[in-house]
Amino acid sequence: MMLCNDVLLLMMVPKDRIASITYLAHDAVEALLPGADTGVAVNHGTAEEILLQKPDLILAGTDSAPMARKLAKAVGARVVEVEAAHSFADIRRIVRQVGEAVGEPGRAHVLLAEMDGNLAWLASHQPARPLRVVAWSGSQAVPGRGTLTNEIIAASGADNIAARLLDNRYGSFGLEALLAAWPDAILQGETRWSGPSLQDAQSMHPLIERYWHGRRIAYPDAAYACGLPQSADAAIALRNLYRELPAGRLRW
Amino acid sequence: MVRPPQAPLPLMLALLLAAAGASLVIGKVWLPPVVLFDGLAAPKPNLAWLIVTELRIPRTVLALMVGATLGLGGAVLQGLLRNPLAEPGLLGVSGGAALGAVIAIYFGLAARFALVTPLLGIAGALAAGALTFLFGRSGTLTLILAGSAVSGLAAAGLALALNFAPSPYAAYEITTWLLGSVAEREWSQIVLCTPFILAGWLCLAATPRGLDALTLGEAQAESLGVNLNMLRALALAGVALSVGAATAMAGAIGFVGLVAPHLVRPFVGYRPSRILLPSAVFGALLLLVTDIAIRVIPTSAELKLGVLTSLIGTPFFFWLVLRLRRLSP
Repeated sequence: MMLCNDVLLLMMVPKDRIASITYLAHDAVEALLPGADTGVAVNHGTAEEILLQKPDLILAGTDSAPMARKLAKAVGARVVEVEAAHSFADIRRIVRQVGEAVGEPGRAHVLLAEMDGNLAWLASHQPARPLRVVAWSGSQAVPGRGTLTNEIIAASGADNIAARLLDNRYGSFGLEALLAAWPDAILQGETRWSGPSLQDAQSMHPLIERYWHGRRIAYPDAAYACGLPQSADAAIALRNLYRELPAGRLRW
Repeated sequence: MVRPPQAPLPLMLALLLAAAGASLVIGKVWLPPVVLFDGLAAPKPNLAWLIVTELRIPRTVLALMVGATLGLGGAVLQGLLRNPLAEPGLLGVSGGAALGAVIAIYFGLAARFALVTPLLGIAGALAAGALTFLFGRSGTLTLILAGSAVSGLAAAGLALALNFAPSPYAAYEITTWLLGSVAEREWSQIVLCTPFILAGWLCLAATPRGLDALTLGEAQAESLGVNLNMLRALALAGVALSVGAATAMAGAIGFVGLVAPHLVRPFVGYRPSRILLPSAVFGALLLLVTDIAIRVIPTSAELKLGVLTSLIGTPFFFWLVLRLRRLSP
């Protein structure tokens, strides 16, 4: 019932071992593992479906754990509670945890080795001048310190200005603060995702269109919402996009 | 007969000017006035110039227009319906505007063209006003009932949009929009809405004579030659145009339209015609000061204008209730 767990599950075990995944997972799967969920049954987190599908194991998120435990008793299933991952350290922990739970620790090890390889490559190829960026799509819910988005930005070799402007993990700051901070590029989350791109399609305040034209980077909301081995790929994709930005500092 | 105290209109206008000045200087990013003035004189564009002309002036203009509209709309409706609880949203207009704007967000249109949200909001307000008029034009009570029905319909539509929101992000965007704000609106959106707001003000400005006559009762007003159907149509059209456009721009902002007429009545007297202008000016002042307060109050997430007006408005309202209880035997 937690879409990030389901994406992880699709990477770990063959489809015929999956009783069902949440209907919410489809967008994230399309962004991260296109086509991986074809033919897999979906659930809507209802008791009736769980009773019908009789799983042996329920992967629950923190919020859905109490409900999952109640249902699990009825069908005789095991419940494993997987926390949301907000850092690469969290990702290592939950991938190992799910790997153990489904009996595929070797697969978990392979996935993590791939992720750590990517992170090591990023760390050894730091850009000369770190770009100053922010994930800002309107003034609400800007990810700061302690968020997965912040980790991905840091791994990509850029400096998340929201990490210094906000005291909370998520906060809000308006255009005034954005203008005063003057980032080199603005990252914007997209719900419907068709690959990384420099975007100008989404209408924003004219000031953003005027000064950050060609400096807005679209990212898939789904990929940044789930801490997964692919989070390192997201950081690499960001790094590659930085090269497409206009050279030099942004001018008035 | 007790003469009402002299109208404090000049005082309110002076306060309004002071607040407008403060609104240009105060913001989340603190720039000392000296830096601001230097920026206005320095080669453009620069940070101070951009912040003042593209962010703080539009925000101030919008707060003034929306506040004045709510104050005026509330005063006219309280006179027309002869009900101290009337507020601009009573006739379903605000709900219609909110629904129109939310439809724009729901279908992702708002993300592509900035002007779609206010346009659909205005269309929603006009449709809601027309519906209320169609069912409720025969009398005061039917007008209020039809207005509640239309408000209910719009609320159901909003709930439906949240229910079927295409993604959690869309639901989040809809809820935050509904909280109400005048921050970061574009000049083009303000220019689009201004003619509707002005047309609405004109309609409402034609109502005071009828409203004064109406204080004597409907039959007496008709015998004085007031065409009540015409008066209702004018008030409803004025509210639909001005409050509709204001809601389409700023979202749902409660209590200003309800409280502003009550707060000016002790100073200007109880004749509806004398309340309209002061109530509009006071509504503008109230909303602008609240919007400045939002920028000064240190919050980690942005406090929304509609939230603060409701928070401030409620104690005022309790005070009104207590005062009414003391005054009535």
